[in-house]
Amino acid sequence: MSKHHKRAGKLAQDLAGPGSREWQTRVESLLTARKTREAVEVAKQFLKQSPGPEAEALAVAAYQARIQALLASGMHKEAQALGALVSERFPAYRAQVAPLIRQSEVSAGNFQTLLTELSTADPPRQRELEAILTRGLTDPALLADSPALPADHPLKRTARAVCELFTAVTTGPLPPGALAPLDEIPRHSPLAPWKLLIRALDAFYRRADPTVLANLASIPADSGPGRLVPILRRLVGETEPTEDRSFAVTIVLDKVSGSRALLQSHLKQLSQALAARDERKALAAVQDLLPLFQSTPAAFRQSFIVTVLHHWHRQGLPPHGLLRVLPRGKKDPDTLRLIALTLEHTQWDAALEWWDGYLTAALAAGTLPATGPEIARVLLHMAALFPADPEDVLDLLDVESEKELRRLIRTGRLPAFFDREALLERARAADPDPQVFRALVAHYDQREPKRAEAEAEAWRRAHPQDLEPLLYLIRAAERRGAIRKALDRLADAEALNRVHPEVRQSRFRLLLAGAERRLKEGKPALAVADLDLLEQEPRAGEGDHKAYLLALRWAAAHKAGEATTAAQLEQTLATTMDNPVLCNLILGTVAGSLGLKPPPPSGPPAQPQAIDGLARACDLFRALDRPLTIPAALLAQVEKELGNTSVAQLHSLCAGGLRIGRPALTYAASGQGLAHDGPLVSRFLLARGQALQAATTERERNRARQCLRAARELAGRSRDLEVMREASAALDTLPDWQALDALLFGNVLTPETPPTQADITRTIATERQQRHVPRFLVEKAPRKARKAKSPRRRLPWNLFNDLFALLEGKL
Amino acid sequence: MNPFAVLGLEETADDEAVRAAYLAAIRTSPPDRDPEGFRRIRDAYEALRDTERRLALRLFGPPPLADFAELLDAVPEERRYVGPGPWLNVLREHRG
Repeated sequence: MSKHHKRAGKLAQDLAGPGSREWQTRVESLLTARKTREAVEVAKQFLKQSPGPEAEALAVAAYQARIQALLASGMHKEAQALGALVSERFPAYRAQVAPLIRQSEVSAGNFQTLLTELSTADPPRQRELEAILTRGLTDPALLADSPALPADHPLKRTARAVCELFTAVTTGPLPPGALAPLDEIPRHSPLAPWKLLIRALDAFYRRADPTVLANLASIPADSGPGRLVPILRRLVGETEPTEDRSFAVTIVLDKVSGSRALLQSHLKQLSQALAARDERKALAAVQDLLPLFQSTPAAFRQSFIVTVLHHWHRQGLPPHGLLRVLPRGKKDPDTLRLIALTLEHTQWDAALEWWDGYLTAALAAGTLPATGPEIARVLLHMAALFPADPEDVLDLLDVESEKELRRLIRTGRLPAFFDREALLERARAADPDPQVFRALVAHYDQREPKRAEAEAEAWRRAHPQDLEPLLYLIRAAERRGAIRKALDRLADAEALNRVHPEVRQSRFRLLLAGAERRLKEGKPALAVADLDLLEQEPRAGEGDHKAYLLALRWAAAHKAGEATTAAQLEQTLATTMDNPVLCNLILGTVAGSLGLKPPPPSGPPAQPQAIDGLARACDLFRALDRPLTIPAALLAQVEKELGNTSVAQLHSLCAGGLRIGRPALTYAASGQGLAHDGPLVSRFLLARGQALQAATTERERNRARQCLRAARELAGRSRDLEVMREASAALDTLPDWQALDALLFGNVLTPETPPTQADITRTIATERQQRHVPRFLVEKAPRKARKAKSPRRRLPWNLFNDLFALLEGKL
Repeated sequence: MNPFAVLGLEETADDEAVRAAYLAAIRTSPPDRDPEGFRRIRDAYEALRDTERRLALRLFGPPPLADFAELLDAVPEERRYVGPGPWLNVLREHRG
C-alpha cells in the first residue's frame, strides 16, 4: 500500500463514526492547507460510508481543488484525465467541472473543444471561456488555424493578423504603421496580451525601452505572453540575470543578445569568486568564459586574459590552476608577455624573466623580428624595469658590486637578463633609435662618464639633427671644465636651434665660466672679450647679474694693472647697485675667488642696507650657482635684528642661509617669516624645518619634523610641488624614532596621518614663540648605507616552471 | 578597454584601417546621442592613431581592467531578430 493511501486510511479511521459535519470540516481544513490529495481521499471515504448528495458535493469540491492543483503544477494531461473521470462519475456536476476540463485542455495545447463551445456559447459562458483562453493561449496560430472556428469568426481573423505581426516583428524591422491592425483588438479579447507583447517587441527592436516597459506593465502575469515579460525586462537591462533559467529562456536570451547576457553573468560570477578568493569557483567561471571569448577579436581576448591574470595575482591566488585552464602554454609568446606585464608592478626581477621568455618564444615563433623597433622597445622596457638605485639591484641579487654582478652573469651563475648594459646594447644593435641612445647615455652617466659621452657622440652621428645629444655633450664638457669644447658644442647646438631655452641658458653659463677661467689663467683681455659677449645676452639684464659682470670687469682691470679703470668700475658698481653692502659682497667674493685683494670695507652698514644687500647677494649667487663669501660680522648683524625685513627678503635669506651652510641665518629669517600670514608660510615652515635638521638636540629635530610635515601638508593644499618634494626629502633624512622604538621595544608602529589644520596652527604658534636660538652642527650628509634586506615576496618562478614542465610532459 | 577591441580592429591594422574604423564607429555613436560611447571611441583612436602608439600598445598592452564588467563595454548591446520560434519555445516549454 502506498504511503498516501495509508495516510488516508488513518484519516478515515480517525473519522469513523462521526457525522457529516465533521467529514465536511475535515475536508475543508485539508483543502485550506492545500493538501488536495488527502482531501480527495477523505471525501471518497465519506462518500463510501455515507453515499448521498451531501457526500457527492463534498467529493466533487475536493476533486476540483485537486484538478486546479495539478494544473498549477503543470500536470495538464493528468488534470484533463481527472476532470474527465469526475465528469463521468458525477454527471450532475458536469457543468461545474467543465471549465476545469477546458482549462486543462487549453493548458495541454488542446483548444478544439473550447473553441467549438466558444462559437456557440452564450455571452456569460463566452466570457468564461475567453478568460481560460487568455491564460492558456501560448501561440496565436492555434486560434488562427483552428478548424473549430468558422473562417469568418472575428477571433480567428484577429488571431491570423496577430500571428503575422508576431512573426514580422521578431524577424525584421517593421515599416511605419505596420502595427495598425492591432488597434482593432479590444482590451477584453484573449488576444489583447499578444497585442501588447507585439508592441513591446517592436519598441524593443527600435530601442525605445520606456515604451517596452510601459507595454510589458499592462500584460497580465497569468496570461500566455506574460511568461515572456521577465525575458524582455532582462533584455532591456531592467532586471539582473537569474541563475535558474530554463533551456528555452537561455536560448532566447543568448540568441537575441548575442551571448552578451551570458558573458555578463559569467563575468559577475568570476568577479565575485575572485573577491571571495574562491579559487574553485573562479576557475569554473574562467572555463565558462573562455569559449565565449573564442569568437571575439584577439584584442578582446587579450583584455580578458590580462585582467584575469592581474586580479588573480592581486588576490594572491596560486597560478597553477589558472595557467592550466588558459588555452595556451609556455611557448606561447602572448601569454608570457601578459604574465610579465602582470608581474612587473610588484616583482621586477620575476617580470624580467618572463620578458626574457617572451623574447625567446616570440623570436622562435617569428612573431617578433630579430631587429627593428619592436625588439628594441622590449629590451628598453626590460632595462627600465630595473630599480633607479643600482644598490637596490645589488641588494636583491645579494652581490657586493656591479663588477661582481657582471662576473656572476659571465660565469652563468645569474641569468643574462640581469645585465642592464647588455640589454641596452642589444636594443641599440636592434634599432639605433634616439630612445635607445637616451637610455644608454643615462645608464652610463653616473657609472662611466666617458662612455656616456661616447654614446652621446654616437647618437649625434646617427641622428645629426637631434639637439639632445649636443646638450648632453655641452653639460659633460662643462662638468669636466672643458669650457672651450663646450662652447664649440654650443655653436653646433645653436646652428640647430638657437631659441631652445637650454641653448640660450647654456650660452650665458658657459661664457661666464669662460670669462672666469680666463681671469684665473691671467688672460684679462680674453676675459673682457667674453664679458662683452655676455653683456649682449638677455640673461645679463636679469636681477643683479649686471653687477656680477661689472665685478668681473673690475677684476680684469686689476689683472691688467689698470688701477684707474678698476676704480671707475668700482664707482660705477656702487652707483648702479645703490647698496654698499651688496657691492662689497660681490667684489669681495669675486676678488677672493680670483686671488685679488678685496676693496676695503666701509663702516658698519645700517640695518636695512645690510639686510637688503645680503638678501640680494644671496639671490644673485644662487642664480649664478657661484659660492658667496659673507663676513661673519655681517651675518651676525643681520641675524640679530630682522624686524622690518620684507617677506621676499626673508625668503631670500632663508634660501641663502641653507646654501652657504648657515642654518642660524635660515632659522632667524624663517622665524621672522612665520610671523607673517601669507602664501609663503609653507616655504618658511620648510626652511625652519631644514634649519632645525642641523640642530644638535633631539627636541629640535622633533620640531624639525613637525615643521616639515606642516610644510608638506600646506604645500599639498596649494599644489606647491617644489615645497612638497623638498619637505618629503628632508623628512626622509630625519631618523624615524617611532620605527626604532617599534624595532627595539616591539611597540606598535602606527601609520602616520597628515597633520590637521589644528596641528599646523599649533606648530606655527610654537615656532613663533621660540626665543632661544638652538645650537647648530653643520656636517656632511653621511654616505648612503646599504639598505637592510627586507623579506620580500619571491617570484613564483619555480611554480610556473614546474607547472609548464608538467603540462608539456602531459601534452 | 583595449582600443583594438573598441574599434573592432586586428593588431595588424594600419593607419588607414584605424581611421576608417574610427569614422565608422563615430557614425554609430555620435557625441550628441552617445557621449560616453563617443569618448570611448575617441580614446581608442588616440591610442592607435600612429605606428608608434600601436607598437607600444601591441607590446605593452592592453592594461588590465579595474573591473571585469568593463569588458562588456566593448561588446555591442545587440538586439538580434531571431524569428518567432525561440520566443514561442519559451511558452511551449512552460506549457510542458
